[in-house]
Amino acid sequence: MSELLTVAHLSKQFAAQPVLRDISFALNQGEVLAVLGRSGCGKTTLLKILAGLEAADAGTLHLQGQDLHPVPPNARQMVYLYQEPLLFPHLTVFENVAFGLRIRKVAKAEIDQQVSEMLDELDLRQHAQKAPNQLSGGQRQRVSFGRALIIRPRLLLLDEPFGNLDAQTRADMQQLFLRVSRQHQITSLFVTHDSREALTVGTRFGYLDQGALTSFASVAEFVQDARTAIGSELAFWESIQQTSRSSG
Amino acid sequence: MRSRLLAFLLILLFGLPFGLLGLLAVGEGWRFPAALPPVYSLNVFRSLLAADNDLLAGLGRSLLLAGTVAVAATAGGFVLARAIARSRRAARLEAASYLPYALPPVLLAVLIQPFIIRLHLSGSVGGVLLGLLLVALPFATLLLGSFWSGQTTEYEHLARTLGCTPRQALRQVLLPLAWPRLRTALVQTFLLSWFDFGLTNVLSVGKVRTLTVQVFTYVGEANAPLAAVASLLLVLPPAVLLLVNKSALLRKP
Repeated sequence: MSELLTVAHLSKQFAAQPVLRDISFALNQGEVLAVLGRSGCGKTTLLKILAGLEAADAGTLHLQGQDLHPVPPNARQMVYLYQEPLLFPHLTVFENVAFGLRIRKVAKAEIDQQVSEMLDELDLRQHAQKAPNQLSGGQRQRVSFGRALIIRPRLLLLDEPFGNLDAQTRADMQQLFLRVSRQHQITSLFVTHDSREALTVGTRFGYLDQGALTSFASVAEFVQDARTAIGSELAFWESIQQTSRSSG
Repeated sequence: MRSRLLAFLLILLFGLPFGLLGLLAVGEGWRFPAALPPVYSLNVFRSLLAADNDLLAGLGRSLLLAGTVAVAATAGGFVLARAIARSRRAARLEAASYLPYALPPVLLAVLIQPFIIRLHLSGSVGGVLLGLLLVALPFATLLLGSFWSGQTTEYEHLARTLGCTPRQALRQVLLPLAWPRLRTALVQTFLLSWFDFGLTNVLSVGKVRTLTVQVFTYVGEANAPLAAVASLLLVLPPAVLLLVNKSALLRKP
């Protein structure tokens, strides 16, 4: 596997308060790094620095060997997906998905073909001419995905993208993300506070706490680390199971 | 039935002054206690078509002033509101935007008059424009302030990562998102400037005769037909603006 992203000794502070402390990691092509972290741990700042929306105080970023420091956000080919789908309300579903291609001045026939294929893939064809406010939460998030994927990003940055969805839609979206990620060989940094979501979507795992990132070599290490609280959750469900068995 | 009656009464209430203005404009020799004018004539309206007609010139001047103020104040307010929202002292700066409202426009005009004279703008369209902008710009800034929320920044950031340059993000995303508010700001600042009398009267020193100033002059001279025609012309652009923006004004939040 070729190394796609290399982050070395990244630090950032706001008003003398450290937000990111000496963060280093590397990401290979097609990998999904699931970063677990609580609110205020610095995960949004990390994603914004990678996207070029914030400047780091120290450290280096390289994407396919290219120093990202002088590259503006629009030229990084990294899409930042928020918790909210943030569909453009003045555009239809079709035009939302076509947005990145129109900005890149792709030929009309090519746009029509690519957008139609993407809408088919995300099962959104019948909603193509609808306004964003006519869609459900899950459909909006799918449109947001399509809008990001169509420009073939080198890296997808996801900031708790399914955080506002109900449990069933969230599970569906996680499966959709897995399918599309594998199919398009998308490299992603997926930030979440839900350990189950991290285990579902990730191929590699990290834990961000007070601005410091711990990378895990295996799923077992990630599960066993007390800070992820996965072990205690497993123990809880096992105790429930035992109780139900003994009472039955 | 009840709502129809209410609608009829409201239309009558709002329409009556316009009907009366129309009668005053076309009626000749209308004296108390006659209920209606004895003779009707379109002479006053015909005189509007004369090349040197003062009312039409006033209408043009008012349109030019109010239109320029609306565009400049809305554009400036959009930029200023963004700068305030992103400033570390956003709350203080927003509070400072209310300061021009501590003074009535006419008093503001008296206070800035010495500066307008030193700038050699006294009695000119430029001087009146500057004075009106001092009132309209903070108003537009406050009106557009709520647009620059955290979510707007997220939209802007998303657009940047999707490939937009800052200019493209502004044109393709921010301006379309802000358009309903921009339209409201344009209409409101236009009306603010259009109906202003006090500030314009002080700064124009009788030389820049806008339509509103002319209405007051004709009323002062007891020239009822001209005052009525000027008033009808005065309500025409706002009525058109309200009609054009009907859908936006009636939109449910």
